[in-house]
Amino acid sequence: MNDLLVMGLEAAVLVAGLAVLLLDLWTPPAEKRNLGYAAAIAVGAILLASFAIVLPRPLAAFGGMFVLDEFALFFDRFFLLAALLVLVISVEFADRFETGVAEFYALILFALAGMMFAASANDFTLLFVSLELITVTFYVLTSFQRRQTQSLEAGVKYLILGALSSAFLVYGIALIYGTAGTMSFTRLAEAAPAVLDSRLLQTGLLLVLVGLGFKIAVVPFQIWAPDVYQGAPTPATAFLAVGSKAAGFVLLLRVLFTAVPALGPRWSRLLIVLSAVTILYGVLCAIPQRNLKRLMGYSSIANAGFLLLGVATLSRDGVSAVLYYLGGYLFTVLGAFAVICVALRHTEGEDIPALAGLHQRSPLLAATLAMAMVSLAGVPPLAGFFGKFLLLKSALMVAGDQPALYVLVAVAVVGVVISLYYYFGVIRAMYWPAEPVEQGHLPPIQLSRPLRWSLLLCIAGMLWLGVLPGMVVNLANLAAQTLLP
Amino acid sequence: MLAWTIYISFLGAGLLTLLPRNSAALARRLALLTALAGLAVAVAGLIRFDPAAGTRMIADVPWIPALHIRYFLAADGISVTLVLLTGLAAVAGILFSWNIEQRTKEFFAFYLALIGGVYGVFLSFDLFLLFVFYEIAIIPKYFIIAIWGSTRREYGAMKLALYSFVGSAMVLIGMIAAFVVAGHLTGHYTFDLTVLARVPFPASFQRWAFPLVFIGFGILAGLWPFHTWAPTGHVAAPTAASMLLAGVVMKLGTYGCLRVAMTLFPAGVTMWRTEIAVLAVIGIVYGAMVALVQKDFKFVIGYSSVSHMGFVLLGLVTLNQIGLDGAVLQMFSHGILAGLLFGVVGRMVYDRTHTRELADLETMNLGRALPFAAVTFVIAAVASMGLPGFSGFVAELQVLVGAWSAFPKAAIAAGVGIVIGVAYLLRAVQRAFFSDMAARPVEAAAHHPLPPISWPERIGAGLLIAASLVVGLYPQVLLNVISPGVASLLEAMRKGGAL
Repeated sequence: MNDLLVMGLEAAVLVAGLAVLLLDLWTPPAEKRNLGYAAAIAVGAILLASFAIVLPRPLAAFGGMFVLDEFALFFDRFFLLAALLVLVISVEFADRFETGVAEFYALILFALAGMMFAASANDFTLLFVSLELITVTFYVLTSFQRRQTQSLEAGVKYLILGALSSAFLVYGIALIYGTAGTMSFTRLAEAAPAVLDSRLLQTGLLLVLVGLGFKIAVVPFQIWAPDVYQGAPTPATAFLAVGSKAAGFVLLLRVLFTAVPALGPRWSRLLIVLSAVTILYGVLCAIPQRNLKRLMGYSSIANAGFLLLGVATLSRDGVSAVLYYLGGYLFTVLGAFAVICVALRHTEGEDIPALAGLHQRSPLLAATLAMAMVSLAGVPPLAGFFGKFLLLKSALMVAGDQPALYVLVAVAVVGVVISLYYYFGVIRAMYWPAEPVEQGHLPPIQLSRPLRWSLLLCIAGMLWLGVLPGMVVNLANLAAQTLLP
Repeated sequence: MLAWTIYISFLGAGLLTLLPRNSAALARRLALLTALAGLAVAVAGLIRFDPAAGTRMIADVPWIPALHIRYFLAADGISVTLVLLTGLAAVAGILFSWNIEQRTKEFFAFYLALIGGVYGVFLSFDLFLLFVFYEIAIIPKYFIIAIWGSTRREYGAMKLALYSFVGSAMVLIGMIAAFVVAGHLTGHYTFDLTVLARVPFPASFQRWAFPLVFIGFGILAGLWPFHTWAPTGHVAAPTAASMLLAGVVMKLGTYGCLRVAMTLFPAGVTMWRTEIAVLAVIGIVYGAMVALVQKDFKFVIGYSSVSHMGFVLLGLVTLNQIGLDGAVLQMFSHGILAGLLFGVVGRMVYDRTHTRELADLETMNLGRALPFAAVTFVIAAVASMGLPGFSGFVAELQVLVGAWSAFPKAAIAAGVGIVIGVAYLLRAVQRAFFSDMAARPVEAAAHHPLPPISWPERIGAGLLIAASLVVGLYPQVLLNVISPGVASLLEAMRKGGAL
C-alpha cells in the first residue's frame, strides 16, 4: 500500500487516462472534443498536488525499483506541465481526427504516465517498461490521422526505428544483467570495479546508450526525427519534441550518474563528440528547410546536442543546466507548436511562407512564435539564452580537466550563430514576407480562451525563465544535487 | 538617477505598443517625449556628476543569487559622457524620422527599446547585465532595418545580425571564461566588473581571452577587417537607424573594448596592442580610401564611419591619458557628427530626391534647391574633417598626440587618413550639392519642387551642430568628467600589468 502512495502521481495520471476512456462512452459525439479540457484540468490538478509533496529524504518503492526524489519530482512537474499544454493544443487539433478523439487524449495521458515512471526509474526493468509505454503510445499518436499518408509514413518510420532501438536496449540490458547480476541502478553502482571493467558490461551500457540515443535524437540515431516531426499530428509532434526527449534525458542522467558513476569519465570523450556532431548536423540541416515542422525537427536535433553538452560535463552544474534548459525548452517549443497547430491549419503542409501576414491575422500568435524563435536562437532576455548560458558556463567550469570541452564550446557557439539565420527567417516570413499578401486573404484567427491562456503562459514562461531565473535555477540545483550529491 | 534613462526608454517602448493602430502622430510625440525625458536625465546626470568622487553607484541588488549575478548599475565619467551622447542621438533620430508613416508605433517602440538597451550597456557594471543589455540593443536593430530599411534591407539586416551575433558569442565565451578563471583563482565567483578588474588573470589566459573579447566587441565597432557589415547595414537602414547605428551602436563596441576587454585583461592589451593599432590604422586609411570612390552618397558616410571609428580604436590602445581621453571624446564626437551626416543624406536628401547616386544628385542642383541641407552638410563635413572649433578636431588631435608617443608610425599613417578624409568629404559636398553640371536639368527640379526642410529636421540638425560646437569650443565640459574616469582605468590597468 505504501508503495502505491509513493507512486501516487503516476497512479493518478493512469486513473485520469482510464476515466477519459470511460467518460467517452457516455459523451455525445459533439462534446467529445471537450474531454480534452477535462483531461487538462485533471493534469493541472495533479500538477498542483505535486507541489504539496515535501520530500525530507528520497522515497523508494517496489524494492528500490522506483524512487521519488527531488530529481524525479522536478521531471514529474515538467512532464505534467508539458502534457497540460499539449492537451490544450490537442483540443484545437481534434476536429482533424475522424474518430477516436477521446483515445487521443487518453494516449497522451498514458504516455505522460510512462514519462513520469521514467523520471523515477531506478532499475533497468522499469527503464525498459516506462520507455516502452512511451514509445508504444507514440506509435499510435504519430499515425493518428490514419487517412493521411504522411501521418502513416511517420507512424511506420517511428515504429520500425523505435522497435530497432528497443531491441538494442533490451539486448544491452541483458548483457548488463548477465555480467553484473542485477538490474538495480543502486546495486550496479556498488558492484566491484572488476565487474565494471568487464567488456561485456560496457558493451551492454553502450547498447543502452544507443537505445536512449534514439529517444533523444542524437546523431547517428536522429534519422527518424525530421520525417516523424513533419508527418505526425501537431500535438503528437509537440509532445514528442518535449516529453519524449526529456524522458530520454532523464533516463540517460539516471544511468550515467546513479548506475555507473565510475564509468562516466571514460565516456566523456564519446559524449563530447556526439554532442558536437549532433549540434552541427541539426543546425546545418535546418538551414534549407521550408516546412516549419520539419525545421522544428532539425532544431530539436540541434537542441539534443546542446543538452548533451551539459551531460558531457559530468558535473552537477551541467546537470542543473540541462534541467534548466529543458524547462525553457518546454515553454518555447510548446508555444511554437501551439501556433503551428492553429495558424497553419488551412494550408497544405506547414510551409514557412504560409505564415505571411500572421501578425495581422492574430497578433498574439505572431508574437508567441516570434518570441519562441528568438528564445530558441538564444537571445536575451528570453529563456533560451539563459539555458545556453548555463550550459556553456558549466562546460567552461570543468574544461580545465577535459580540454576537449573547449572545442565543444566553440562548436556550440558556431551552432548558435548559424541557428540565428533560420530562426529569424521564420520571423521574417511572418512580419515582412517576400511576396506581400493581399488584405482580403487575411481572415483574422479566432482563438479559444484556453488556447489564449496557454499561449500567454508560454510567453510568461519564456520571459520568467529569461528575466528572473533565480527560482528555477534553485529548483534545478536541488534536483541535480540529489543525483550528484 | 541616471538609471531612469533606461526605465524611461523601456516604459516609452511599452506604452507605444499599447497605442491603437492608427495613431502615428501620437506615437511620434510620445517617442519624442520619452527621448527628451531621457536626454534631460542624461544632462542632469552630467551636471550633477562629481568627477572627483570617482565611480558613482546607482543601483545594486541581487538578481540571480545562485550565480552571483547582480543588477549593478554605476557610472563613471566615461559612462556619463556616452549616456549624454545616447540622449542626444535619440532625440535627433526621432526628429529625423518624423516622416515615418508605415507602422509608426512599432518603429518607435523598437527604437526606444534599442535606446534603453544602449543606456543599459553604458551604465552596467555587472558583466552579465551588460551583456544582456548589449543583446537587447542589437536585436531591435535587425527588425528596424529589415522592416523599414531600403536598399537590400534583408541582406543588410541579416548581415548585421550575424556579425553582431558572432561578436556577442565571442564576448559571451570570454565573459564566462573570466568568471570561471577568476572563481578558480580567488574562490569567489562574480560578474562584478570592479571586482574582476582586480583579479590577476594569468598571462597565458589573457593571451587568448583578450583578443577574443576585444575582437568580439570590435566587430560592432567596425574594426577592420570585420567592418563589412557596417557600410551595408548603414545603407540598408532607415535614416534614424543609420544615425543610431553609427551614432551609438558602434560606440557600444568600443565601449565594451575599453570597459571589459582592456580593463579585465591589461596584460593582454600589452601583448596585442601593436596588432590592434595596425588594424585600427588600416581601418582609418582603408575606410577613407574606399569612401573616396563610392558612387552612393550613403556609402561615403558609411565608410567614413569605419575610418573615424579607427581613431577610437587607435586611441584606446595608446594606453596613455591623452590618447584615451581622445578616444572617448572621439566616440562622442563621431556619434554626433555621423548622426548629422546620415541625417542629411538619408532624411533631407534621399527622402526628397529618392536617389543617393552621386551622379544623379549632381544634376539636381541641391545647393540651391535645399540650401539648409547643403549648409548643414557642409558644417557636418568640415567638423568631421577636423576643423578647429568643432568636436572632431579636439578628439582626433588628442588621439594623434597620444598615438605619437605610443606608435609614431601609426600616428603618421592616421594623419594621412585625415587628409584623405578631407578629400572624400569635399568630393561628396561638391558632387552632391555644388556641382557645375546643375545647369542642365534645373528645369526638371523647378517643375517638381522638392518639399522644403521641415522644422523637426531643422531642430534635430541644430541640436547636433550645437553639441559639436559646444564640445569643440569648450572641450573641458566633457574632458573634466572623462579624464578622471580614464585616469582611474589607466591606473587599474597599470597595476594589472599593462606596460
